[in-house]
Amino acid sequence: MPSARSRERPDAGNGTAPGRHFRDRELRLVAAPEHLAQARAWVGAAVAEFGLTDRQRHDFVFAANEAVTNAIRHGAPDADGAIAIAIAADGDGLSLTVSDCGAWVSAVPDLDPLAEGGRGFILMARLVDEIELSAVAGRTRVRLLKRRSPTPGAGGAGS
Amino acid sequence: VSSFRIDEDTVEGGIPVIEAHGYVDFDAAPRLKQAIVRRVDEGHSRLVVDLSSVGFIDSTGIGVLVGAMKRLGDSGGALVVVCPSEQMRSIFEVIGLDDVIPLHRSREHAVSALARAA
Repeated sequence: MPSARSRERPDAGNGTAPGRHFRDRELRLVAAPEHLAQARAWVGAAVAEFGLTDRQRHDFVFAANEAVTNAIRHGAPDADGAIAIAIAADGDGLSLTVSDCGAWVSAVPDLDPLAEGGRGFILMARLVDEIELSAVAGRTRVRLLKRRSPTPGAGGAGS
Repeated sequence: VSSFRIDEDTVEGGIPVIEAHGYVDFDAAPRLKQAIVRRVDEGHSRLVVDLSSVGFIDSTGIGVLVGAMKRLGDSGGALVVVCPSEQMRSIFEVIGLDDVIPLHRSREHAVSALARAA
């Protein structure tokens, strides 16, 4: 697709098999809703290559879609109109980092069960094993980590 | 490129069925909302949203369903959702909405639930 540039980095010497040969990668995505499908396809292909269970793959792609949606909705693109999505093997898990140039602070979850919004963050937090938000000097980042073997009781919606 | 599309249908009693196809994400959710709002503006107070041909619904799509349900419920109407996919049902469970939004495994079940709600 003409709207994004993808580059792959050489193997960063990450952990254990079977993700051993996984190449960390980055996608610069034009920050517009119509490119969400492209982001999901790119993340899905990376997860397939890394190798997770179907359920883990679904949860990771779902959480990634929420993170990218947040960056498009509330964040700010760079001078080229893009946000950055990076995927890396991390220990026995896979991490996804979405960065934009905005200063959005994650919405405080609305406790009204009938609220129309505010569910993206809760979903992300429940579908992955770790979530980390950081906002420094014009850069907002969300990092999600899905482990191959989740810590009991942490993250993930069963499986 | 979006594979999202909506087909309109009706069931017994003239109840509108909004049948979504594809992926209900932040890109598509406004179109789902428009379709629902149009039916409500036409005077319908009971609606079926059929997600049988949907592969994925994100938090913005779920927000549209919750908003529509609330709006219809406040005026004495009802919205029911057909959602046979276990994977999608699990998302509603994860955020604790499975008891809030009536999810049905078939259109027949959804329609009979609406009839009982009448």
